[in-house]
Amino acid sequence: MEVITFRDVTKKYRSLKVLDQVTLDIRQNVITGVVGRNGAGKTTLMKMIAGFTKESSGELRVFGERPFNSLDVSANMIFVDDRMGFPDALKLGDILVECDRFYENWDDELAKRLLEYFQLPLTFKHRVLSKGKRSTFNAVIGIASRCPLTMFDEPITGMDVAARRDFYRALLKDYIAHPRTILLSSHHMEEMEDLLEDILLIDGKDIGFHGPIVDLQEKFLSLQGKANVLETYATRYAIVHRSMAGPLTEWIVDNEHTEAELNDLRQAGIRVATVTASDAYLAMTGQTKGGVDDVFNAMER
Amino acid sequence: MLEMGGEKPIYIQIAEWLENEIIDGTLKADDKVYSQYQLAELFNINPATAGKGLTILLDAELIYKKRGLGTFVSSNAREKLLSKRKDFTLRRLVRELLDEANLLGIEKEQLYRLIESERKGRA
Repeated sequence: MEVITFRDVTKKYRSLKVLDQVTLDIRQNVITGVVGRNGAGKTTLMKMIAGFTKESSGELRVFGERPFNSLDVSANMIFVDDRMGFPDALKLGDILVECDRFYENWDDELAKRLLEYFQLPLTFKHRVLSKGKRSTFNAVIGIASRCPLTMFDEPITGMDVAARRDFYRALLKDYIAHPRTILLSSHHMEEMEDLLEDILLIDGKDIGFHGPIVDLQEKFLSLQGKANVLETYATRYAIVHRSMAGPLTEWIVDNEHTEAELNDLRQAGIRVATVTASDAYLAMTGQTKGGVDDVFNAMER
Repeated sequence: MLEMGGEKPIYIQIAEWLENEIIDGTLKADDKVYSQYQLAELFNINPATAGKGLTILLDAELIYKKRGLGTFVSSNAREKLLSKRKDFTLRRLVRELLDEANLLGIEKEQLYRLIESERKGRA
């Protein structure tokens, strides 16, 4: 069953198109990683789903409703980011009381235990928290609210490695016990990829990829070898990304080869390997074929 | 067969881990296998990924499902795995040997002689 459906949804800020004719479905109880370069439109997409901002055209449905100004969507959804606003006067303990009132599935005991574990005293005020502590607190609210639709936009900003690991673990454990639909955006894809079922890659106002994380990984192969040897194959493959791996040249290419072709490459001394999901993501979103090296190469000329 | 860049996909790692549990006898014939949720907890991964790992073993009939009870190790799972690994691992090593020989420009006869002399050295 689909919890979120986009049909030709476009979002414009004045004349600037941020998302262009997006069509996609998010299934119930799936954890989806929302990834893309800075400014690709991740936050805009999630804020539209949350009903915080209105689609410019097209049809967007969340729980079968148009999310903008929908109380139903609000009550069943939580959007966690580092700008999550809480009144200055409230202590952390007061915020928990309000959450308990608003969110039907709120688990107060879990919230309190997690805050204690992360050393966030209930008597502290939200605005005095450090960046990392504030992110941790917000993440705890996101987990303990157990909303049928839970969205985290860059939840780990400022968290140290240990806190990030604990957050991923806590989210996974609570998800296993209480499955729900989760959207998680982050620039640290390599850290969170084990947690994800699906990837939604936003690339230049468009959906670059949406599907199981394994499928993203299996779209590509890495070829590594001496530049002059690789170049003899340049016309045969669709090269998505080129880079230098030490003294060797690495190409990320579309994974469409026969076994005979692969053996041919190996015999020419080229290393053929699978790529990680993060590498696949980087390859797909690298804006120029040569990466940042192109900038320096152009200056040397 | 592909060489894995850095790491293998997690679901394949899960499948291999389960296979090793069967090979080394930790999981015996008709023992109950971990559920996808137990595997997800254990390895800190998405349950769907753990499910994919289990599917590999189900498809290979190394494990079987009992309705409402869970998943169990097939009676011939260990034998199947042992013969699969022998065939697979050995083939891979032979292919690597041929690649290296090719790179060094070693002829077929020379390679055979090399293998034969190694074999004699052991006997």
